[in-house]
Amino acid sequence: MDVSQYLGIFLDETNEHLQTLSDQLMILENEPENEDTINEIFRAAHSLKGMAGTMGYKRMQNLTHDMENVFSEVRNGKIKVDGHMVDILFQALDALEEYRENIAENQDEGTNENEPIIKELQAILNGEAASSAEEASPKAEEGGDDAKASAGSDDSASGEEKWNDIVLHEPEQHVISEAIKNNQKVYGLTVFIQDSCILKAARAFLVFKALEELGEVIISEPSVQDIEDEKFDFDFSLYFVTDSPLDKVKEAVMSVSEIDHVVGDEIDMDKAKIANEDEEEEAAAPAEDAAANEPGTEPAATTAPAPTAPAAKDSKGADSKKSGGANKPAVNRTVRVDIEKLDVLMNLVSELIIAKNSLVSFATSDNQGAHTGFNEQIEYLESVTTNLHESVMKVRMVPIESVVNKFPRMIRDLSKKLNKPMELHMSGEETELDRTVVDEIGDPLMHLLRNSADHGLESPEVRKERSKSETGQIYLDAYQDGNNVVIEVRDDGNGIDTEAVKQKAIERGVITPEQGEAMSEKEIIDILFLPSFSTAKVVTDVSGRGVGLDVVRSKIGALGGDVSVKTKLGEGSTWTIRLPLTLAIIQALMVVIGNEKYAISLGSIQTIEDVAEEDIKYVEAREVINLRNTVIPIIRLRDVLGVEGERENDSNLVVIIVKKGDQLAGLVVDELIGQQEIVIKSLGKYINCSSHLISGATILGDGEVALILDANVLI
Amino acid sequence: MDALNIAREYDTVQYIVIKIGEEQYGIDISYIDNIVRMQSITRVPHVQPYFSGVINIRGEVVPVMSIRVKMDLEPDEFTNKTRIIIVKMENNAPIGLIVDEVREVVTLDERSIDEVTHDRKVDETYINGIGKNGETLISLLDLNAVINEKDNA
Repeated sequence: MDVSQYLGIFLDETNEHLQTLSDQLMILENEPENEDTINEIFRAAHSLKGMAGTMGYKRMQNLTHDMENVFSEVRNGKIKVDGHMVDILFQALDALEEYRENIAENQDEGTNENEPIIKELQAILNGEAASSAEEASPKAEEGGDDAKASAGSDDSASGEEKWNDIVLHEPEQHVISEAIKNNQKVYGLTVFIQDSCILKAARAFLVFKALEELGEVIISEPSVQDIEDEKFDFDFSLYFVTDSPLDKVKEAVMSVSEIDHVVGDEIDMDKAKIANEDEEEEAAAPAEDAAANEPGTEPAATTAPAPTAPAAKDSKGADSKKSGGANKPAVNRTVRVDIEKLDVLMNLVSELIIAKNSLVSFATSDNQGAHTGFNEQIEYLESVTTNLHESVMKVRMVPIESVVNKFPRMIRDLSKKLNKPMELHMSGEETELDRTVVDEIGDPLMHLLRNSADHGLESPEVRKERSKSETGQIYLDAYQDGNNVVIEVRDDGNGIDTEAVKQKAIERGVITPEQGEAMSEKEIIDILFLPSFSTAKVVTDVSGRGVGLDVVRSKIGALGGDVSVKTKLGEGSTWTIRLPLTLAIIQALMVVIGNEKYAISLGSIQTIEDVAEEDIKYVEAREVINLRNTVIPIIRLRDVLGVEGERENDSNLVVIIVKKGDQLAGLVVDELIGQQEIVIKSLGKYINCSSHLISGATILGDGEVALILDANVLI
Repeated sequence: MDALNIAREYDTVQYIVIKIGEEQYGIDISYIDNIVRMQSITRVPHVQPYFSGVINIRGEVVPVMSIRVKMDLEPDEFTNKTRIIIVKMENNAPIGLIVDEVREVVTLDERSIDEVTHDRKVDETYINGIGKNGETLISLLDLNAVINEKDNA
């Protein structure tokens, strides 16, 4: 079955289920008895398993299966939730996440079997196996209310001992006689799986796995291959060599859930069907058939799951047809859109068409009175396009929830790793941002949180001394502020020790001691954002390699936002990330410099001032103005941009005051055109703007191209 | 054997012949997206000197490069015959090249194209062949070399 078309949905839903699992596990860790949570987890794990199975991701399926087994036992009250178990389950979640990523990248789950985790999970299960063994068999009898299954306790019920039908060939006979010689026992077993079981193959697989721990399966009917491909009804039979007694073997089989019952006995070589010559030949033919089929299916079961390989090829073929790009991710990025938003869009498009039609009719009639009507229609058109723009933006918006949801888990892990008790409080998860921004914002936020956890929060002892509660508090708040979205990461830890930063910077030769003396607190904090600067005395694997903060700043800068920090020694720090609501269309102020037009994002503009030439003062040979008691450096864009020609002598300058964080600067331009909504276009990769002054270009109403100035770079 | 020889057709490539200064150059037609008249170019500050700026081609912002500046010739003089050739290499974004004049389209078969031999380490060249069209010689532009930056630049 070609399931590649469902891949997108599969990945989305997997994500959701993994998130649910993670959330609920966090709850479970604190309230191990919470039944709702356990049920929720069980459901999520079960759906995940089903989906993975359908898509043919066997490893993922196996792992979720084992997790589900654990949850199922928890739900039945057989095992208690403890810290160790939650840890293992979280590890399993990580492993699943890894599978998911592999699948998203190349439609293949990878080859990591995650054996250790599966073993651990089974150890948890087996830990309870001893105690629940007695419960297991009554359970089988319970299930055996159906007449058919009543044989659960009656091993010798005739007709159920299907193992007697297995035809033994030379090699098997040899193994059996060898085993008997070595005083090992040979059992024939027939395992019956519950009728309601969905994933028979997985159950059978687990039975085999359980048996292989005790001994060796010599032969099975149907063959192992067929069982893996689910080519059997609800039972299968096998011969099994072991040292263990029959009871133990049955117990092992019964420990796999959804096994109805198992019958078995020591085999009698006389009774067993020994293949005679004729039969052997007959049997050889299907065996060859099976061998011929094998290259297609069987090797895949051991290396990569067969169904995925062709699927991957199929869609890759399709992909390359479309784009020709080789390294494109296999999955398109999608946004789930509320149908109501689409309805609004649809309505607006109809309005647009109406507006166009009335314009057409005005154009064809040369009625004198048409002029006023024409203007009306233009205004109408304008309001429609503005609404259209807003709606399309809304469609692209997704809540930051999907990113921040993974943080509680991360803080939990960090708390254990660093041995510091801490809590994460989040608010504003529903705040919406453009999908592209949300995708990118995760890493910077993670850096900041790790930073707070590792450097910010003090050890519990120090906290106690400072009469703070021993548990460190970290806050993550998101909210919308005008055309920006603000995300704050706050902690009540130590704050930034600016003196220590300064010492370190001097030590590293980043600044000279003299420079250090002259620096303001703010400037010192800015040093933190320089590449490869870390104040951590000990490099941990949590943070402290000095790759964090500069990456945070550059990443957020690339998204058109900025990051700033406020800190108070001993009381904590607040990191503030400010991001534009949307990327593709912005409100901008159009200005003229020489005979060139430039756009400056309205988001960064504070005010526009008319400044007389004589009000310009000099501080350290730089031009500044004193505006309402704030000294603001001014930048003559004409010089910075290398615009030709001289400005006509005019006593007053037009100065645009722009803001970046708390810093202000005045940009001198020649003329203002006005505010305009502009569509941002990239300059492309050929042009290499060394100063990064130009963040893009836009096309004006007359078809001319105007460049967009990045005021943040100027400050 | 004979039949094969007779049946053999030489591969042909169509070139657009352009003029820069007194020399004629050929550009493989399959890379050409569009040819537009000279229009107002928006200068971009602080970029490589051979980029004249950007223009608007059907709503797309396209960088425009001066072949003259790239080849260290005198700067362009815009006349009525000046054209911007928009080329598009495979999956890359389009880019405009300013040429003095666009003359004609010629079809050259491989017999009339001579490879140029040159030492890439010493010479910097933007040509990957010479085509003979009757009496005239056409230098065939190596678009990759023209468009892409030198590694050691």
